Amino acid sequence: MINNTSTSHEIHATPPGDLAIWFFIFAELLAFGVFFVAYAFARAHNVALFDESQQHLNRTSGAINTLVLITSSYFMVRAVAAIKQGLSRECARWIAAAIGMGGVFLVIKLFEFHAKFSAGISLSTNTFYMFYLSLTIFHFMHVILGMVILAAVMLKARGGGYSAENHTGVETGASYWHMVDLLWIILFPLVYVIH
Amino acid sequence: MQYKSQAVAKPYFIAAIGLFVGQILFGLIMGYQYVVGDFLFPAIPFNVARMVHTNLLIVWILFGFMGAAYYLIPEEAETELFSPKLAWIMFWIFLVAGALTIVGYLAVPYATLAKMTGNDILATMGREFLEQPLPTKVGIVIVALAFLFNISMTVLKGRKTSISLVLLLGLWGLAIFFLFSFYNPSNLVMDKYFWWWTVHLWVEGVWELILGAMLAFVLIKITGVDREVIEKWLYIIIAMTLITGIIGTGHHYFWIGTPEYWQWFGSVFSALEPIPFFMMTVFAFNMVNRRRREHPNKAATLWALGTSVMAFLGAGVWGFLHTLSPVNFYTHGTQITAAHGHLSFYGAYAMVNLTMISYAMPMLRGRSANSGSAQIMEMWSFWLMTVSMVFITLFLTAAGILQIWLQRMGTTPLGFMAAQDQVMLFYWLREITGFVFLIGLVLYIWSFFCKKGTAQAAA
Amino acid sequence: MDTPHKPHFIRPCTFIWLALMLLTGSTYAIGEAGLGGLAIMLIVLGTAALKVQMVANYFMGLRRTRWLWRGIVLGWLLLVTGLITIAYLTTVK
Repeated sequence: MINNTSTSHEIHATPPGDLAIWFFIFAELLAFGVFFVAYAFARAHNVALFDESQQHLNRTSGAINTLVLITSSYFMVRAVAAIKQGLSRECARWIAAAIGMGGVFLVIKLFEFHAKFSAGISLSTNTFYMFYLSLTIFHFMHVILGMVILAAVMLKARGGGYSAENHTGVETGASYWHMVDLLWIILFPLVYVIH
Repeated sequence: MQYKSQAVAKPYFIAAIGLFVGQILFGLIMGYQYVVGDFLFPAIPFNVARMVHTNLLIVWILFGFMGAAYYLIPEEAETELFSPKLAWIMFWIFLVAGALTIVGYLAVPYATLAKMTGNDILATMGREFLEQPLPTKVGIVIVALAFLFNISMTVLKGRKTSISLVLLLGLWGLAIFFLFSFYNPSNLVMDKYFWWWTVHLWVEGVWELILGAMLAFVLIKITGVDREVIEKWLYIIIAMTLITGIIGTGHHYFWIGTPEYWQWFGSVFSALEPIPFFMMTVFAFNMVNRRRREHPNKAATLWALGTSVMAFLGAGVWGFLHTLSPVNFYTHGTQITAAHGHLSFYGAYAMVNLTMISYAMPMLRGRSANSGSAQIMEMWSFWLMTVSMVFITLFLTAAGILQIWLQRMGTTPLGFMAAQDQVMLFYWLREITGFVFLIGLVLYIWSFFCKKGTAQAAA
Repeated sequence: MDTPHKPHFIRPCTFIWLALMLLTGSTYAIGEAGLGGLAIMLIVLGTAALKVQMVANYFMGLRRTRWLWRGIVLGWLLLVTGLITIAYLTTVK
């Protein structure tokens, strides 16, 4: 794996981080992709129901969560930049900030879920809510998994486990975390906005 | 063989192959009953033959898994087995319990067997694949726990590798999900719902972990590729397996009275189930191409590569064929299911056991590989069994397509038995191909006794 | 991010972050205004696709890898957004 601290704009043979995580990322993209497309075609079969149900979603909390995840992703970029300069403690602090934003996402999402569940909405309410709940819950679990990965990376970084020369682990965690962000960037407009 | 206690794997492998022969014989009986309905009636009715065929399959694969674990774990953990004696005791208990169960199936009517074995105390019988009488089920749990205790203790006192951890996870999962066979709600929907927790989560969940670990072990041994590379692949494959396989259970919940969202969950997630199998194929070929040594056991290499390809075809492609709910609406419970069942069980679980036996058996008999001529015979057995199973699958697929067309589509659909009469030709072809498979199996066994040529010295 | 030895006043990745925030704001504004229809749908989906490319190329660092890797993500993005658009078009009379 290539981890140089290059300042040039050279082209790497493989993406940042462990190549294995990229196979995993591509598989995840495929899984969500199938789900997104299934949503779009299910909507095409029942536009009125989807458009009506969509109006009951909390678009504001969805938008805030987008901002939260983007910012969290940005923190991970800074964490990678820090470790490339050999700044372990700074790197660990940026990761902690990224995890913190992940936590904010989860809390906002839980409020959203709570509101829906107390309104008696479930997977069986209608096809729109089936998609809304399963897509967001599936994504929710990925946020948790991402936070677990980042926590492991953070602990190792704090202990000085990475260096300017060797920091594949940080890039691996960052790549996965960016993917979680990337998926939400499509999920939010698709489910909350487009009608 | 590096550790003395690995020798305990040998009886497990022999028993597995013995039961495999039994499974094939009963398969042939059933295949003939498909075309000549009253063959062997009333001595062995179709439902009994089918039960014996599928139960023998499960039991021989379990014997294979246990043998593989007893062989693999000491070598991975770099220590002797915790208790070889316990492994021997469990071997006899499992073999005797298995044999008595089969005798019970054949000797008395199933209802009598149920009465004799206390099914009225806790009703667990009468469900496909879980037909075993209560004492047998309890016996399986005891044997599984003792076995897990034995190998877990071995791993705990020795080196912990990814392969042994994945294998342990798979085997513990196997034992835990079997517990759902004791749960038999009177509501038929709930009964089926939890029945799949054993059946599906075995073959499309934890068994895949066992398969992955066994394949990775054999590949490390025969290719000499760095453990680190193989382990990384193993983790990714396992993660994908669990992500797709667990929610993929939904593809069994389409038409049994479960909520509608399962049609979406089942379709989407199980459509992705071929991915880990495809990755396994890429992984196996990639490792063999990057091999650092020429292992004398060419036959085992062939089996390992064959497993990865046939598992992808049988489980991946043939599974995908009828996993989307709009397709499954027509294919459900037809010969398409039988086609998928045959190729996936052979391609994934029968073949991985044959791979392991092919690799380990010569080692257990003190040589790194069988003689050249024995290996050639074994490769013949590989091609005979594999090609005939592919043809059995193709014939059943053709029968299934015709059956769906005649029985479930069009303006004047035929009744079930009338449709069966129309596909009889394919059943005949399947039965004939079944005999080719048996010849392949006989050659496989024979190759281990082939004395011609010189065996390779022990590694 | 990419030139640690030369101190920047604002890093390129910070610009990307700001752009992503603003684009999110625009999508939210469209949602709050209750706008709909094909043109709006294409704008919103196009915005999302642009944001995905920004995250993939700048945050995930794919712009400095072989085209293969960028191509996989771009191909996935075009396929998914393309199919979503087709699904939407089938509902427009």
